[in-house]
Amino acid sequence: MDTDKLLLCAISAAALDLCILVLIIASYCEKRSDKKRWRSVSADMEIADANRSFPLSCDEILIGRHASADIRLADLSVSRYHAMLTVADGVWTITDIGSKSGVYVNGSLVRERRLHENDVITLGSKRLLFRKRRDK
Amino acid sequence: MSNPVSFIFSGLFVILAHGAMLMNIFFNGNYKNTGDLALLAAVVIGLDILFYIIMLFWKQNTYTVDFMLILILNMSTIFQASFGGVHMDKDVIKHIITCIAAIAASRLGFWLVRDYRRIQNRRAYIWAGIGFLMLVILVCCGRRSIWIDLGFITIQPSEFIKPLLVLACATSINEQQHKHKFLSFNIVWENVILFGVVAAVCLFQWWCRDLGSIPTFAAIYASGFLLRICYPKTKFSKKTLIAAISAVVLICGVGIYFAPDYVRARLFVDVWSDTNGDGYQQSQALIGIANGGWFGKGPGFGFLHNVFAHENDIVFATISEEWGLLYALMMTVVLLFICSSPLIFPPRSYFHGTMCAGICAAITVQMALNIFGSCNLIPFTGVTIPFISAGGSSMVTSGLMVGMLIAAQNPVFTKVKKKKKQGNSLLSPLKQRRSA
Amino acid sequence: MKSIRRCQSIITLFLVIFIAGMSVLVIKINREAPFYMMHSDKHELGMVYDRSGDVLFDGLHKGTYEDNHFLDIGNLIGDDSGQMENTLVAQNIDKLNNYSFSAGLVREGGKAAIYTTLNHAANRAVYDAYMGAKGCTVAYNYKTGEILVCTSLPSIDFTKGYENIGSLESGTLLSKAMCGTVPGSTQKVSTVISALEIMGPDLLFSKSYNCTGQYTNATGGTIDCHQSWGHGVQNIQQAVENSCNPFFAQLVEDPDMPLERIIEIYRKLGYAVNDDKPQFLDIDGIQCDRASTTLTNSSDFTTQWGCIGQGDTLVSPVQLMMWQSAIANGTGKMTIPHLIHHVTNVYGDTCDCAVTKYSDELFSPSTAETVKRILLTNGANHYTWSIPNYVVGVKSGTAQVMDGQEENSLLVGFLNDEQHPIAFCILIENKFTTGVTTEQIAVTLLNALCQ
Repeated sequence: MDTDKLLLCAISAAALDLCILVLIIASYCEKRSDKKRWRSVSADMEIADANRSFPLSCDEILIGRHASADIRLADLSVSRYHAMLTVADGVWTITDIGSKSGVYVNGSLVRERRLHENDVITLGSKRLLFRKRRDK
Repeated sequence: MSNPVSFIFSGLFVILAHGAMLMNIFFNGNYKNTGDLALLAAVVIGLDILFYIIMLFWKQNTYTVDFMLILILNMSTIFQASFGGVHMDKDVIKHIITCIAAIAASRLGFWLVRDYRRIQNRRAYIWAGIGFLMLVILVCCGRRSIWIDLGFITIQPSEFIKPLLVLACATSINEQQHKHKFLSFNIVWENVILFGVVAAVCLFQWWCRDLGSIPTFAAIYASGFLLRICYPKTKFSKKTLIAAISAVVLICGVGIYFAPDYVRARLFVDVWSDTNGDGYQQSQALIGIANGGWFGKGPGFGFLHNVFAHENDIVFATISEEWGLLYALMMTVVLLFICSSPLIFPPRSYFHGTMCAGICAAITVQMALNIFGSCNLIPFTGVTIPFISAGGSSMVTSGLMVGMLIAAQNPVFTKVKKKKKQGNSLLSPLKQRRSA
Repeated sequence: MKSIRRCQSIITLFLVIFIAGMSVLVIKINREAPFYMMHSDKHELGMVYDRSGDVLFDGLHKGTYEDNHFLDIGNLIGDDSGQMENTLVAQNIDKLNNYSFSAGLVREGGKAAIYTTLNHAANRAVYDAYMGAKGCTVAYNYKTGEILVCTSLPSIDFTKGYENIGSLESGTLLSKAMCGTVPGSTQKVSTVISALEIMGPDLLFSKSYNCTGQYTNATGGTIDCHQSWGHGVQNIQQAVENSCNPFFAQLVEDPDMPLERIIEIYRKLGYAVNDDKPQFLDIDGIQCDRASTTLTNSSDFTTQWGCIGQGDTLVSPVQLMMWQSAIANGTGKMTIPHLIHHVTNVYGDTCDCAVTKYSDELFSPSTAETVKRILLTNGANHYTWSIPNYVVGVKSGTAQVMDGQEENSLLVGFLNDEQHPIAFCILIENKFTTGVTTEQIAVTLLNALCQ
């Protein structure tokens, strides 16, 4: 094969490679703005118990004792699938999904309730705080 | 708009990649008159710029997949126009029009599923759409064919079932919470309906002798099914999973055993013993790849363009021969990158996640069937590579699916106010059906 | 969140499976591309050389060669014209193609070549020694398996084209060494091996039968001896030296030689007995017949003729030569012959180097030693004047073909020489019309190979 022909092939392949690379880099750059945008959707909230905090990074958060739960509370007083957090327009809602011990927000038993900042959620013997996200 | 700098850069580099390809044709390729090449270059670069301008009107988190889409679409235009020498005839113009249709479809898909709660509440239309398409195939495609001939264009309705099936899988996922007792079994009705529909579609395709699309449907359903097992509150033991897998294997085995002769002949064919009969396309494709080597014979200098279906069924080999295996592999990398974008941008809802998995399954399985089939790794089926193969229906559905993928990265979460919005929302399933 | 991660892992799964399939595909294409190109109509073939570098086939059609340079090996080496399928070039065209996936087809300077084990000069000498007679000769090194001489007459110089293909004599476009032929009395070697395996040497050497020139067997068939006045009473050694048909007919009828055992040993030797599926030998892609015969009843005429080497028996000269290797080696294992010593690819890198392979044990080493002694004695007693200066173990044969109208002359044997371990089989067709004998050809062959 002629060298100039080979060179042209190499240049055209390299240009494609470069383009793919640039798009991947751009994708990672854009990821930051995506995080920012999610923060506005989720009102930048998080759930915390005494020891740790749980980020809320998607629109459906399952709370329960089961291993597949997003927020896993290893306590026998919590049902396997206890409650579900959902978000829309920056508003978080908690829903009881058939738990045995019920969901309490600020002390009152609820089926479904809109959450406000610093609300205390009680699931069985566990207490969780709904609060603004704190950067470590 | 998120990051203007990367946005401009992406656009420039897409033009650069296309420019390099065109330059390769100019110095290296086979063309009779420079006018054709200039026209091709004008169309490609023009489309790039036009797309860039259109994108300015859309506010999105990310534009990566959009640029990947225009990259692959114009690559395929260049490929198609240069097979056997640069030519700007009817087929190429048709291909360019389908490319534009694919972009339009991607915008439509984006608009449709961006807010998943809206489509979730109208999933009845999706089921109706699938039923409608099956009816269309039954009525309009004479003699068990899969094509509807409208004179100026032929449509393959079964292609449009694919995105609808993806949506059906995704919309029914939230129903997992609502179990019903029936004869002491806990049953989710939508799961049963979904299984019934998939089985019906597969049987239907079998009847139509469109065996190639069965694996695609099966893969879409399999991804939906796997996610259903893992969905919160669905208890699905490993025993059930093993039982399901063994049932699938059993069905496949029985299917192959009782398959009609023409199917079995296709499953077990030695292409080299019959290079002028059944194995003609595959053997020619492999010879073409071997002839091209890593760097190809040069755009337009292959011989595969004389083989039937060179522009869709064995398009991977045709590209390999003229542009080299390396380039063909990079083309698949672009497609894989489109599929893998949900890994970089995690979907924000379970609906979008399921949808992404279904789309990824559909695209990879179609690519695999086409590439591995034409290279004699698996039985040869007439499936298209999304965006690369010529073919209007496949192009539009692939565009729609990629649009849905983009939507999953730019989600909107709004509460549906039931009475107020239902009026104008009736349009969306209608539009969807019209696009089919 | 966890569920989203599950979505992602399913996507990853699909991608990984696809990428794995793609890698398999790329590796497969890389490895099999020369095979694919073989089916293309575009070739840039390289050269075939003999063991000393003499050209046997010129794919580039560039060199100039003397007239009929390729005549003696024409129907063994063949060419890419498609006229001769069962030839070295036709069967190994993928190795000869100046192609690799990275380099593509190389028109100039490609180094793809096949280096054969043949000795072209010796082959030429043997070919000339036939002096226009028809037949074939094949000889190989029974220690290494390298085929040194393989010529078949009539032959064709493929460089001259195939315009006269309609007027060619039958058998021109194939190597007769690879085709089954009536073995005549050379078959008696197989019968002696069977008898030794069944009875053992002591019992066999104690047996003696009378030959009166004609033997009437139990079913009334008559077996004629070539010496019409008979050989009298002989033992096995004398019978082999006299090549006495009535002796072997009586040996086959002997109650100590059950037919099932004969069939069993014949099958081990490679015969397709009665309705067995015929077996073939693969010599670097060239398909070679083995042997076949009909054995139904010890007293039956056809069966006895079969064990004597007439009747339905067919053996290829290559197979006859290979049995000689099992005897000459003294191991009872045949050396598998090969034609290709090594191959070079388009860049000149050596690949596919031949290795010596042996068959399973066909018969015991003690049988091999006994047969070797019998054949060497035969050589010493009867061939010292016709094949002087060489210690050979041989068995001649005369085969009636075309319903007895023509007689072919055969000679199989081996040279008992550590320096030149050569086993050979020589066939001259229609011996009455030619002035050449198998012994003369054997002398030419051994002279050419042992210089």
